[in-house]
Amino acid sequence: MAAEGKCELNPDKEKPVCTVPGNKLEKWLNKSMKIQMTDKRTLIGIFLCTDRDCNVILGSCEEYITHPVEEAKEEPRVLGLAMVPGQHIVSIHVDELRDA
Amino acid sequence: MAAPMKQLLGEVATDLSALGYSEMEEEAKDKERPVYNWKDVTQEFRESASQLTLGQLLHDSQFGLFEAMSAIEMMDSKMDAGMMCNQIKRKVLNLNQAIQSGDVKLKDLSYQELIGIMDSTLSCVVTWLEGHSLAQTVFTNLYFHDPHLIEDRCLKAFSLCILKIVDLIRDKVNRASVFEEEDFQTMTYGFKMAGEVTDMRVTGMMKEVEDEYSKLIRNTRSKQGEEKNESLEKEHELVMAVYTRLKFYKQFFMMLLAFGKDKCEGIEQAQKLIVHLQELTPSMTASVSLGIQPEQKEPTKNDYPTISGFEPLINQRLLPPTFPRYTVIRSRSDAVIYMETLLEKLHVATTIVGVNSFQTIMEIFKEFSKSSPCVLSRSILQLTFLPLSRRVFGEHSIVDYLKDSIRNFIAPPALALKSPLYNNPEAKQYVDALLTRAARPMCNLVQITGHNRARQRDKYAHILEEMGNLQEEADKVDAYLHKLLMKLEPGRQHLACFGTWVLYHTLHAMISYILLGFELELYASYEYHYVFWYLYELLYAWLLSTLHRADNFLMEHEAYMDHQKGRSSKKSKKKKRTKTLTKEMTLAQAQQQMFGGYYKAVLGLKLASKMKQPHFEFDSEEVRYTHRFVPFSNIATPPMVHYTQYKEMTDLCRYEPEPMAEDLYTASCKCFHQAKILYESLSSPSDETLTIIKIAKTNFVMMKLLSGGHKKDSKAPPEYDFSLHKIFPLIKL
Repeated sequence: MAAEGKCELNPDKEKPVCTVPGNKLEKWLNKSMKIQMTDKRTLIGIFLCTDRDCNVILGSCEEYITHPVEEAKEEPRVLGLAMVPGQHIVSIHVDELRDA
Repeated sequence: MAAPMKQLLGEVATDLSALGYSEMEEEAKDKERPVYNWKDVTQEFRESASQLTLGQLLHDSQFGLFEAMSAIEMMDSKMDAGMMCNQIKRKVLNLNQAIQSGDVKLKDLSYQELIGIMDSTLSCVVTWLEGHSLAQTVFTNLYFHDPHLIEDRCLKAFSLCILKIVDLIRDKVNRASVFEEEDFQTMTYGFKMAGEVTDMRVTGMMKEVEDEYSKLIRNTRSKQGEEKNESLEKEHELVMAVYTRLKFYKQFFMMLLAFGKDKCEGIEQAQKLIVHLQELTPSMTASVSLGIQPEQKEPTKNDYPTISGFEPLINQRLLPPTFPRYTVIRSRSDAVIYMETLLEKLHVATTIVGVNSFQTIMEIFKEFSKSSPCVLSRSILQLTFLPLSRRVFGEHSIVDYLKDSIRNFIAPPALALKSPLYNNPEAKQYVDALLTRAARPMCNLVQITGHNRARQRDKYAHILEEMGNLQEEADKVDAYLHKLLMKLEPGRQHLACFGTWVLYHTLHAMISYILLGFELELYASYEYHYVFWYLYELLYAWLLSTLHRADNFLMEHEAYMDHQKGRSSKKSKKKKRTKTLTKEMTLAQAQQQMFGGYYKAVLGLKLASKMKQPHFEFDSEEVRYTHRFVPFSNIATPPMVHYTQYKEMTDLCRYEPEPMAEDLYTASCKCFHQAKILYESLSSPSDETLTIIKIAKTNFVMMKLLSGGHKKDSKAPPEYDFSLHKIFPLIKL
């Protein structure tokens, strides 16, 4: 996370801080997200933050070496707060369950 | 951690299915993990993200850049430990997989394989003891993940024995708690350490296998008169090597158990076992080469070649999500050397039992710490002195032990058996209350000496506040006892007895605090003048007067006792004093003179502008000075000397005529000479003392030369050479 967003300079603006009107990203905030990385690992965590280069920060993140659905046996490794650089992201899935 | 939960759920499920609720089973399984309804949004996400401006962050109000900073960066080799698993080309097999693929043998292991496995395991144990995680060291040995699968009796007994040893060590180190994160990793990652087998069973198993091997030794021994059989001889050598190792680990385990016995009853046994173990190490070193060795391959940061049965990456997933720590496993011969040192140190721990004075214990412990012993020997030493029962050597209560120590140190009337004060219930209550209160800081002092050298300094600084409070209370008790004694026995005194004793320990803590600064190389040479001054004029001067005071009390007490017994005064004069602090006083004096020598030398060099001076903007000596002695501000006696006072007291204008550099060199010369004489007067000097005498002599000569005008015009700064001693440098010009 190199540069600071404009939002930080604008503290009077309440919630949510950074918005591009009508941006879809906003509705995904704080939802479960599954990211597959270039080295085939899968991370599942809460979507907290992103920027233009698609760098994503996941909270309460868990790491799976294999695909978590295919091989349900695997114990995940707890990572906590993790930042995935955009260049290493292969795919992004969002949990739509709560919409239903 | 999740396993018991799963098991529970599983059990519930079976119960229910027995009752015909099979659909519930599914549900119970589902509860284990959340159900997601994943929807691929990769494209959508990328597009939306690209609409953000450069540097703009999209986030919720509770999440900001500050939180973002603490995230670990994935795919960064310095932060992402999990990345390693995927970078390795080969497949990492766990124990069961390795057994199936035939990579790990459960039986029919050759002697070479056994030796190799045993030695590699020792390397792992030693690396663990040096502060690495269990997961990356001991438990890279696949056999340890389930030793009960092993069919080879020798390897099974060995594995169980090492697991027991690891568990015992872990327990001891945890209990003594003289470690910090750099010394020891407490995480066990849920590994099982043969808890289901009793200690007795393990030693029994080891003994059985040992007997088997001793039979093999006899069978392979070439008999007299027979022709030499080379293959038999080779086998004999190998069997011997396995046998030695079995014996070593069995005895090592028994030794650890012996140290743990109540009331130090096992110390004698431990001492014997240490001697036996020390006899075994040379042949272990000699046979290290017999074991199978890993292939010669270039090790990478986290992966290195091993022999069959070891897998460096097996526990990679267990590591915490912090940055990965790379573990370099010690070589096999290094590991044996480590054990040799450990045994030597443990021997010291067996010699402390019965030392009946707290002052001597502190001296021994400080001396022990000087050679930077490992965390296990430090822990065992601490536990031998003060086991879990919180009784000294498992026998005496701390208060009683302190009473004895104080008797030896200053012989206060309140603790003298025949004194009326000793039998006065009120006085006893006061004394007991004070010593109960003193127990904690005094035990903490002992514990501080158990920490690694770098941490001790900090801990001394912390304890000073508590010592200050204790001293205040000791003074109050002394005053009360004095008043009482004046009534009971006019003419006798009880002034500052306990206070002197506390002050003695406080001063030692202060001195240790300053001296550790030299060892840790904290002081710049332009700071030397006030550091040496503080030691010379203040701390050691106070220590000496404290010792004098205590010694006078001892003398008075003996005279009083003789008087009570009605001995003739002639006899008592001839009688040698039983308790005296002469040696301590000589030592303190000698050290004071050494620091006096350095102080005057530095002052002289400063006058001759031979000292490097700092040239920083906003430089302030006062700030440095205050910072150096800040922990002393919590102590009432000796009072802190503030910088302005220091400046006044050391102002050379106070002397008439004002001294020149040469005069100071001469004064320093005298100090070093005095120190030398004092050190030489000590009977049976230690190696350290001999070294200090040598340093004092060399510095004496240097100062003599300087006072004679040697290199007078040179402005080159002197060199302080700490290579001979960590505290006393050689001054070189």
